[in-house]
Amino acid sequence: MKFLVIFIQFLVLYGFYLAGEWMSEFLNLPLPGSVIGFLLLFAALALKIYPLRWIESGAQFLLMFLSLYFIPATVGVMNYGDVFTGKGIWLIAIGVFSTLLTMAVSGYLSQRTVQSPREREVE
Amino acid sequence: MAIFLLSMLFAGLTIILYLVLNSLYVKYRWTVLTPVLTTTVALIAILLVFDIPYDRYMLGGQWIGSLLGPAVVALAVPLYKQRDLLLQSLLPIVIGVSGGTVVGMFSGMLLARAFHFSEEVVLTILPKSITTPVAMQLAEGFGGIPSLAAVFVMVAGFTGILAGPWLLKVLRIDSPIGRGIGLGSSAHGLGTSKAFEYGPDEASMSSVAMTLSAVIGSFLGPAIVWLFF
Repeated sequence: MKFLVIFIQFLVLYGFYLAGEWMSEFLNLPLPGSVIGFLLLFAALALKIYPLRWIESGAQFLLMFLSLYFIPATVGVMNYGDVFTGKGIWLIAIGVFSTLLTMAVSGYLSQRTVQSPREREVE
Repeated sequence: MAIFLLSMLFAGLTIILYLVLNSLYVKYRWTVLTPVLTTTVALIAILLVFDIPYDRYMLGGQWIGSLLGPAVVALAVPLYKQRDLLLQSLLPIVIGVSGGTVVGMFSGMLLARAFHFSEEVVLTILPKSITTPVAMQLAEGFGGIPSLAAVFVMVAGFTGILAGPWLLKVLRIDSPIGRGIGLGSSAHGLGTSKAFEYGPDEASMSSVAMTLSAVIGSFLGPAIVWLFF
């Protein structure tokens, strides 16, 4: 029974994803279907169009293995071995450094603005 | 029929390896044992040893990859449950994610230029901190190489989950919003999977950051290209 509920809720999630894909294509939006589907589901929940308990256990189950779904894409790195040999090794270094910089700036900025909203507004 | 069985084999192998290696990670909690990293390395090793091309692996691999779309949609659920935190922190979220996206795009582009990489490669590295499908679309629109863009997205993702916790600690970014926004802005969905290990607040912040950076990047990226190329 529990499994059936999860499966049906998975199909609903897939439906939102397909709706997102469809909107992305026909409205020529720069965002992919998954991100549009995410926004659609959030809007449906926030506007109380779709109740949380009809999606909650399916979403929780799917998100338990979130990093699994990236693996087929990450294995694709094997086709790019030659790009990163020789001088290309610097591309990895640049990617790593730039990512850490992004994390530092975004994390620091958001944490600082939360800690002292008044102070920041005065500045 | 043979193709179907082969696809089943590759999909099954991916799931079994992931579950086994994940239990290893749960037991020891060492960063190098992160299941997405160990499973990727194990699969690449198996494919190389048996001389199986990536395209053939993807016959089954794509089944698992196709779960990523609905999983991104599912992120709306934990976010909705944390909606109060989201509303309270709207301004810090927008400031953090915008700042991170601008710095991420500029630093990648300027550094790749400084090392005299071809314009095609510079344009490809630009969207690396954005979730894979958007990054590939953007790279294509810029005149970069979409499949290589996906590789840079993976470099960003792995950097986020492997070095991220260390960096956050060193910089004393220790609030749920700081951690979540940092991971999601720099390392998209992989960063978000890491954020789930911290807690529900971090996970929601990270999924917001991932979505918002995709939206901001979709506008900022073309603007940068138009200005500098």
